[in-house]
Amino acid sequence: MIITPKELQNWIENNHYFKAVDIRGEEQRYDLPIMGLDHMIAHENNLPNTSDKLVLICQFGIVTEGIIIENDLKETFSLLGGVEAWNAFHAQQKDMSRWSRQTILREVGIEGQTKLMNSKVVIIGMGGLGCPVAQSLITCGIKNLKIIDGDAVELSNLHRQPLYGFDDVGRMKVHAAKDTLQALSDSALIDAVQFNLDENNGLRLLADANVVLDATDNISTRKLIDKLCKRLNIPMVYGALYRYEGQVAILNVNGKGGYSELFPGKIPSVDNCSEAGILGMLPGIIGNIQALETVKLLLDIKPNLIGKLLLYDGMSHTTQTIKL
Amino acid sequence: MIKIKLKCFSQVKYALETDELIFELEDGTTSYEFEKIVRQRSGDKLEGVTLRIAVNQEYVKDDTELYDGDEVVLIPPVQGG
Repeated sequence: MIITPKELQNWIENNHYFKAVDIRGEEQRYDLPIMGLDHMIAHENNLPNTSDKLVLICQFGIVTEGIIIENDLKETFSLLGGVEAWNAFHAQQKDMSRWSRQTILREVGIEGQTKLMNSKVVIIGMGGLGCPVAQSLITCGIKNLKIIDGDAVELSNLHRQPLYGFDDVGRMKVHAAKDTLQALSDSALIDAVQFNLDENNGLRLLADANVVLDATDNISTRKLIDKLCKRLNIPMVYGALYRYEGQVAILNVNGKGGYSELFPGKIPSVDNCSEAGILGMLPGIIGNIQALETVKLLLDIKPNLIGKLLLYDGMSHTTQTIKL
Repeated sequence: MIKIKLKCFSQVKYALETDELIFELEDGTTSYEFEKIVRQRSGDKLEGVTLRIAVNQEYVKDDTELYDGDEVVLIPPVQGG
């Protein structure tokens, strides 16, 4: 069984009987002591014989989960996220154990997770790309999310826009999306903007963002986002689709390499999804690459797509990464 | 003569009906000349399509000479989302 740091804190406050047991080796105990929790130390093969509930604690909560399952231990709990998550909870009163599987990653950690939770992200367009982008960013811990789209859900959207269901047809996309996203993370602060980005509202809508996601379906809006991001000096994570293919790039980092440098001049009309056609999985793949690159950008994880254009072909699964 | 590999994406792929093509070209052929050759090969299917040129995974802004073994991608803008 699993117990989160917050649940364990409730046990302490309500005087539940339990024994917390640190099963880590001496070196890990020395490097990262458990803060603010009475506990004993024991080897995993020599756990205390007690009628009290046991809470086993390791560094990340992975080893203890394995021990409980393998030995079929009853009345024994694994502390989700381990000492890392407990200490972060103890220090900040924020339970980050939910993200324990990603905070294990050296490049993320508790510090990175805190950074994600304090970041402000704007997604423009809640269609094929916007849905997977929003879903992945909310579930990975982005709390401040603004979603912008002036369209209502149509029946033909459902095959590639999984935040919406049959009953949402006719509703504004941002409202339907907010309901689904809020169910994934009740503490997220989702600002649903039910009109399109334009020259008049653009600066105001994007001004406080750390990163802007371009999930639009037309080049004129893309160019406007590019212009606004340049003016506000905000990075833009670009994504676009064509049949079985997609493009992703991180543009306008430190004022360099924007969409207008990628495709300068006037661009003649290009087919969009309703004209060229699209399989529902493609926006899922490309949108998730955008979300991945957003997290890498926010946490300064390298290599990434800053100043590079990724071309992905879902038919042959070939990619090209072009330096801008 | 030089051999140039063209990797095809999006409209270029559908116009030429292939993922990849090898071209045998005169020595000294430039990127702009190569783009024209590709457009001619497609008939009129790339007419009006904006293309950016990358040689060996790097954008080239100006006309540049191609060399034997170079890999070229002609990149069109796409807009679906």
